Amino acid sequence: MGRYFRRKLLIYLLTFFAAVSINWMIPRLMPGDPIRALIGRAALRAEAADKVAEYFSRIYGLDQPAWRQYVNFWTSLFKGDLGISIYLSPKPVTQVIRDSIPFDLGLLIPAILCSWIVGNKFGAFAARRKRLDGIVLPIWYVFTATPYMWLAILLAYVFGVLLGIFPIAGAYSFAISPSLSISFILNYLKHWFLPFLSLFIVQLGGWAIGMRNMIIYELEADYSRYMESLGAPRKLIRRYAFRNAMLPQITGLALQLGVIVAGAVGTQVVFSYPGIGYLLLQAVMYKDYFLIQGCFLFIVIGVLIANFVIDVIYVIVDPRVRHGMGGETA
Amino acid sequence: MKKNEFLYFALRNTRMQIGLGIVLFFFAVMIIGPSLTDYDPNEYSGPAFARPSEDHWLGTTFFGQDVFTQIVYGLRATFIVGAVGGGLATLIGLIVGFIAGYKGGILDEILNMLTNIVTVIPTLALLIIIAAYLPYRGVVSQSIIIGCIAWPWTARAVRAQTFSLRSREFVDLARMSGMSSMKIIVQEIAPNMLSYLFMALILQFGGAILAAATLDFIGLGPTEGISLGLMMQNAVLWSAIPLGLWWWALPPGMIIAAIVSALYFMNTGLDEIFNPKLREM
Amino acid sequence: MKRLFLVMLTVVLVFSATVMAETFTRGETLYAGGGLWGPPTNWNPITPWSAVTGTFGLVYEPLFMYDPLEDELIPWLATSGEWVDLNTFVLEIREGVKWTDGTPLTAEDVKFTFDLAKTHPETYYSSLWDWLDRIEKEGNTLKFHFVEPLYHEWHNNLYNLPIIPKHLWEGRTKEAILTGANERPVGSGAYFAHSYASDRMIYVRNDDWWATEQLDLVPAPRRIVYVVIFSNNVALGMILQGELDVSNFFLPGVPTLKRTYEDIHTWFDDAPYMLSDNTAFLYMNTTKKPMDDPVFRRAVAFAINSEDIKTRVFEDQVLVSNPLGYLPIDAWMQYYDEDVVEAYGFTYDPAEAKKILAEAGYRDINGDGFVQLPDGSPIRLSIIVPFGWTDWMESIRIIASNLRAVGINADATFPDFGRYQDELFDGEFHMAINNFGSNASNTLWTFYDWLFYELGERQTSGNFGRYDNPEIFALLDQFNRTPFDDHETSAQIMSKMQEIFLKEMPAVPLWYNGMWFQGSTQVWTDYPSEHGPYHYPCTWGGRWQEGGLLMLTDLKPRQ
Repeated sequence: MGRYFRRKLLIYLLTFFAAVSINWMIPRLMPGDPIRALIGRAALRAEAADKVAEYFSRIYGLDQPAWRQYVNFWTSLFKGDLGISIYLSPKPVTQVIRDSIPFDLGLLIPAILCSWIVGNKFGAFAARRKRLDGIVLPIWYVFTATPYMWLAILLAYVFGVLLGIFPIAGAYSFAISPSLSISFILNYLKHWFLPFLSLFIVQLGGWAIGMRNMIIYELEADYSRYMESLGAPRKLIRRYAFRNAMLPQITGLALQLGVIVAGAVGTQVVFSYPGIGYLLLQAVMYKDYFLIQGCFLFIVIGVLIANFVIDVIYVIVDPRVRHGMGGETA
Repeated sequence: MKKNEFLYFALRNTRMQIGLGIVLFFFAVMIIGPSLTDYDPNEYSGPAFARPSEDHWLGTTFFGQDVFTQIVYGLRATFIVGAVGGGLATLIGLIVGFIAGYKGGILDEILNMLTNIVTVIPTLALLIIIAAYLPYRGVVSQSIIIGCIAWPWTARAVRAQTFSLRSREFVDLARMSGMSSMKIIVQEIAPNMLSYLFMALILQFGGAILAAATLDFIGLGPTEGISLGLMMQNAVLWSAIPLGLWWWALPPGMIIAAIVSALYFMNTGLDEIFNPKLREM
Repeated sequence: MKRLFLVMLTVVLVFSATVMAETFTRGETLYAGGGLWGPPTNWNPITPWSAVTGTFGLVYEPLFMYDPLEDELIPWLATSGEWVDLNTFVLEIREGVKWTDGTPLTAEDVKFTFDLAKTHPETYYSSLWDWLDRIEKEGNTLKFHFVEPLYHEWHNNLYNLPIIPKHLWEGRTKEAILTGANERPVGSGAYFAHSYASDRMIYVRNDDWWATEQLDLVPAPRRIVYVVIFSNNVALGMILQGELDVSNFFLPGVPTLKRTYEDIHTWFDDAPYMLSDNTAFLYMNTTKKPMDDPVFRRAVAFAINSEDIKTRVFEDQVLVSNPLGYLPIDAWMQYYDEDVVEAYGFTYDPAEAKKILAEAGYRDINGDGFVQLPDGSPIRLSIIVPFGWTDWMESIRIIASNLRAVGINADATFPDFGRYQDELFDGEFHMAINNFGSNASNTLWTFYDWLFYELGERQTSGNFGRYDNPEIFALLDQFNRTPFDDHETSAQIMSKMQEIFLKEMPAVPLWYNGMWFQGSTQVWTDYPSEHGPYHYPCTWGGRWQEGGLLMLTDLKPRQ
């Protein structure tokens, strides 16, 4: 067991190193110059523009050779310094992420968890009832199959503009300053609801369908048949089926939670909701190396943690995995 | 015998019928459509803001382009993305998943690492970099990118299934009889997961269509031609919904929803066909 | 676990119940948008490209305001400014102005602002010191002694330089000045930068503002909430709901919506609805064939149907440009030479375009329907605009089909913004629409300086087509060195430039992009309009001094 996790840890470290390096490289492969893109926003006299650009390149360390920049990147990373954003100059990347990420977490975690729980329950439930399966599931199919942004825009238009029940922009009213008060919390929730709902609806069907299919697959698997032929009660078979069917669902959940730092660009654009997703998109557009690196670092960490959790859960839930742990040769 | 049985149930399965019917319908529209319209998708063929009429079956856009024509040509992009993107994603996912799940050990770890790295490679940045080297972004290059990025979850699922299948008795038996790994995967493991594989393909097909729609929407779609995603993006950017141009804003989204949910329907139908047990239920 | 959660929830709720949220009074708050596209992170007037809109204008103020409608410099922090001789400009600095920390604003601060660029040549306006010799201070008077004055550039600077407080900036390090965030800006303006969040910037009125006492100006909104909105769709929805008062977005459908929603206010009641703010040009890369041929470029000018673009894409919210690209503002039109335009101008005339091409030897030799170069090699051009800039995207589709109609094989392509920028800067494009430096100003110098920007390795600030004509560069320089009020000499120079421009057609003026402005009259009234009050309704970053601030003093809460 200890050896198993030691090896895992080594692999994870390697993955981390490779992924972070690739993500360091990718933005730098993009043609163009981030400083010029930044200063290009203001029309400057040529002489001044050159001096300003030179100065900024020096400040950002972009005048150094690539290998030096790469070394600098790792050294400052170990000091917990992710650099200064270019697009949101001069805000440190850590601060950009710290200020934006709560909005993403507040939206995505409840949406993912709720849809996962409801979807799984519903999917497992529907898989056993043909009539229900026939009627209700198709509706969730349609929701899941709907392009997210399009659905969100319709939701925003119908509930926001036409009916005027929910606000259509911002994380809380533009007429209020944040405080820990009932009215603020209610206001926040009111703004939060439509973005949440849109994410919930779209994800719900996916989990439900996944669960339903897995249950059906498991019920039909050899061991179920075998148990059935032995005369085991249906309930017992279903319990086994459910437990096995949960595995892929847990994997999916962990992965979803792992990439949470990437944010939800679509939600943000449609509801003008703050968060990291849109910033990341802008960062890519403006070649903001540091912000891109910073965000990806967290995405990498998130995915790796998720994977680790999956590994652990597999070991716990599925005893067969434990036997196969050493690999074919073991 | 087995083939006939399959066909028999396939054709009798309602879900399969409905799903296949819808997909075939839109496929037919894509094939026949261009001959039903005299316009070019981006040509200004009529007055702006026109409601659906005899000349323009689905009305015109903000600029007077024929919505029906755009849909007909946009469907082509949709099917290409589904087939190429979804197909590629399934293929890569299968190969990686089988090998990782069956072989286990170091190979599994390495492939797992690869899967993780792909998961964390930024689609956006990749698209923009590729865009910078291509003269323009086409539907096919978009599909290939989607395919190269969407495979990890198939790989994971296949790996997990293979993982648990490989310790089952019949696989052990095959191994003891000296079958090669390749043969075991193809002959013993894959057939046991056939329904699952079909499911994966169909879901990837639909997933690729949706992924393309999202990319189109945030401005990373094909820079030339037309797709349903681009239509939606345009409709939104030009405020089609508040301006009351429902005939422009609604159909592209509805069609994507229809096609993708039809695929899910087929998927469920297939399940019932493959699993006789489900038919009994 | 569950219990812990409940306990925490109760604590939060009980605590919350005792706190009252501060809600802004609607009638005192102005919601504005269109000039802020990301979270506010920078209030440094020395880095205007990153600074939040309002940093300059609401917080920091210029020496003069400028009214593009009347072509008038309005004395602001300076009460007067004039040339006492050809090399000396004298500024009288206003008395009784205070920084928001209570310190008086004096000539010393103004001098410091200029000197800063001398101390730190990396400051964006440092090129000033190439032709400015020294500044002499006598009480409230500043004497600027020039080596060789660039009059037009100087007059443009008069309303574009934010004055900063010496006592707060002189102790700062170079890095803090040039790359700092300046998070708590202390200015002299009508508003404080009060607070901010990821999706908003909040300004609160400075009730102690000098102009209230001296000029009797009171900005009506006690608070300005400048919102970050990512899409036009949301902006439109907010206007319809009355949640956005002032919008500087380009919103499609405004003419249509104006018919059903009475609350939407625009400058003109009817077409074109919007004032013109800048000219969209079709740049042609003069280093590539066949755009290196002036005759070909002129043929392109005749081939484009800007009228069609105006109606189809912009629903008449814009005006078609005159052949020179001059905005319909006095500052520019005073130099518009009718005779030159009459003689060398162009209009939409595809037949003429074909004739010009044929006479110059551009013929369809291989019979593919498109003309080839006189030597027989094919022409295949692409026109670019950034992807997502939808109005321009539709426009170049029209232009491409116009060009094909006269036999020029051209396609519309849409690279991402970054790539578009690079293609422009590096001179790789064939044809592109651009307007980055053609906005309204008090001198044509800014316009021509952008159009005929001196050639360098990378063209980041204009003349993207790399048009190389020493004669026109010399004329521009001469114009810049002509005293600002020497109308006669300036006019002669301008006429020559116009003639060269029209004969050579390095870029084709197409239409005037609007000063996009929609006001919602649900809460505020008396927005600027053609019926008055006459103030340029601009809240874009760095341009409040052109009328945006004065617009705030016009507004009245709706009864």
